[in-house]
Amino acid sequence: MAVETRPDVGLPQGVGRLTLKWKAFLLVALAVLGFGLFAYGYEQANGMSVTSLRSTGTMGGATWGLYVVMVEYFIGVSLAGIVIAAVSRVFRIVELRPIARIAELLTVASLMVGLLAVIIDLGQPLRGIKNMLLYARPQSAFFGTFTLVAGGVFLSALAYLFLGGRRDAAELAEIPSRLQWFHRLWASGYTDSVDERDRHRRVMFWLSVGIVPLIVIALSTEGLVFGVQVGRPGWFGSLQGPDFLVLAAASGLANLVVLSAIVRRALGDWNRIDAAVFKWLGRFLLVAASAALYFMVVELFTLLYATPSDERQLADALLTGTYAWIFWLSIGLMTLGLGLLIAQAASSNWRIGTLVVASVAISTAALAERYLTVIPSQTHATLLPYDTGSYFPNWVEFSVVAGLFAFGALLIGLFMKVFPIIPMRDHLIPTQDDGVEATNA
Amino acid sequence: MPKYSMAVDLERCQGCRACMTACKVENNTVVSNNWMYVFRFEEGSYPETEMSFLPRQCQHCDNAPCAKVCPVGARFKREDGIVLTDSDRCIGCRYCELACPYGVNYYNWQKPEKGQYDIVDWHDDDIQSATGGAIPPYRNPDLDELYGEEQRRTAGGGHAKGVIEKCTFCVHRVEKGLDPACADTCPTDALIFGDIEDPESPISLYLKDQSPWQLLEEAGTKPNVYYIGGKPPNKELKEIERPKATV
Ligand code: SF4
Ligand code: SF4
Repeated sequence: MAVETRPDVGLPQGVGRLTLKWKAFLLVALAVLGFGLFAYGYEQANGMSVTSLRSTGTMGGATWGLYVVMVEYFIGVSLAGIVIAAVSRVFRIVELRPIARIAELLTVASLMVGLLAVIIDLGQPLRGIKNMLLYARPQSAFFGTFTLVAGGVFLSALAYLFLGGRRDAAELAEIPSRLQWFHRLWASGYTDSVDERDRHRRVMFWLSVGIVPLIVIALSTEGLVFGVQVGRPGWFGSLQGPDFLVLAAASGLANLVVLSAIVRRALGDWNRIDAAVFKWLGRFLLVAASAALYFMVVELFTLLYATPSDERQLADALLTGTYAWIFWLSIGLMTLGLGLLIAQAASSNWRIGTLVVASVAISTAALAERYLTVIPSQTHATLLPYDTGSYFPNWVEFSVVAGLFAFGALLIGLFMKVFPIIPMRDHLIPTQDDGVEATNA
Repeated sequence: MPKYSMAVDLERCQGCRACMTACKVENNTVVSNNWMYVFRFEEGSYPETEMSFLPRQCQHCDNAPCAKVCPVGARFKREDGIVLTDSDRCIGCRYCELACPYGVNYYNWQKPEKGQYDIVDWHDDDIQSATGGAIPPYRNPDLDELYGEEQRRTAGGGHAKGVIEKCTFCVHRVEKGLDPACADTCPTDALIFGDIEDPESPISLYLKDQSPWQLLEEAGTKPNVYYIGGKPPNKELKEIERPKATV
């Protein structure tokens, strides 16, 4: 297989070339990020009283709001990327090879954004970083979120991205460009010898094997942040962990589909993401969305039979009260997304446009579900007879969250300009032309 | 080692909320933060209605879920039973607030002095000269001392924006051998404080021969506040009015 470069354009896949479209993207993303930063600065200067958040109980509010919803959402999204990258390597699914790096990047970007959202939600952000290092308590589920997700998965995802890209980096380092220093740095002396490839393959295999249980533990802990709370009807329960995991898989895969479709378009002639990739992703998404809808239906039935207690009060708020529109919207969107996937699977005709629509529906449903996990139990499920509370995010919170999305998009957009987002040649999945036998660890 | 507890005699409580005011003055809490709160309930429908009152402060639980979830150990239980918050260590995650089933935790949503009786602009020059530059005009210096074996800043409220607060059983008074301000102020002596391990303490003597109950006992938090008379609240009770103060 020839090295994927063209003498007329230098680096492949538009790396190093700032097109007009890309500059427009950069401008919009920077503007949204800038406004998000302004909103956060305003909040820091005046206190979180400029958001819609308020204490529960006598203040009648929700103390965890949109920021925590986004933490749950982004960290959930990070799951699919790394799992798809790992699965494609462990099971040698060659069709998924072109999106392995997109998947890794999605994990790294969504984890960074998710962890940033944790910091943003703290009343004392700088003290938070310092004290989490000095005094972190393993007994707190919050500690699990921080150490497992941040430490384990983030570092593994970075290692994945780094190791998986070394061969490409070594090839790019040969091409004179302004980014040559960066590619040399990434390649860090890689020579592509048979021994080196073998060593890489072994490390990546064990990283793949290790990362899946790690992410399952990390994301279950995220669910347990809520699941271990006895004092809040709607939260306590052993299903929070699995529920969180399943919804994370669905939303993560949905985001991967959308991102792959965007990259496919953006790359134009360089595109190597073909229909087979989407067929695989569509099938995975079908399984994950079915499981997510199953959990939603189980939840619905449990709510319908809630006894006249605090759980009933919560059920009423979800089924017919304040939160009904979000509840039914999430069920409707998940059903719609799943319906589109089933129709495509039945006809064996996977159309990228339809898959993207289904993915957007599923991702939005997952976001709404996260909202319903976090908020109603605070406003409508107090154990003492406080009046019911209310919460809906305001412009400050929406702007900060838009800024987070823009930051994530910028990370991916910038990456595409410094490194090929589709592996030029993935030496970690052996092929005939590599001239090596497939070896596992 | 003593074990501090409080008894609340609902037969005596007249719902005057003097304890709420005493707590505010003593602990310098902002206007919307009611560490001590007295529910005023109405039950039944007119004209067959009945009023009842329920003082509700931190229950200083033995099995405190708030302390269990704190990621940095800012919320902790002392050996003498008092559950406290280290305002210098709290990172403002508000996890304790959600873990507590009683709704007794309050967060400083803005700079505490901003939320302190917003009828007055404390930065006004005239007020500044009259108060000698102190904001708010009176602040008990005891609240900024370090207490307990741990020597942590745990007394009083209004220390900083972005941290959580709650009732401290007036740790700064207890350390001097005084009762908490609410118990000291109650005109009907409905709040009785003391060392429940000491059979001769006022609280032990008061609870003798009584059948006290605890708030949300079923939550398994093992509270250290004992209610006498009245009955546990239920969902049929309606609050007559809720506090107007907001941030
Ligand atoms: S009442 Fe709430 S804040 Fe007080 S000790 Fe119990 S759980 Fe903690
Ligand atoms: S708000 Fe403060 S005291 Fe409460 S759990 Fe978080 S760090 Fe601990």
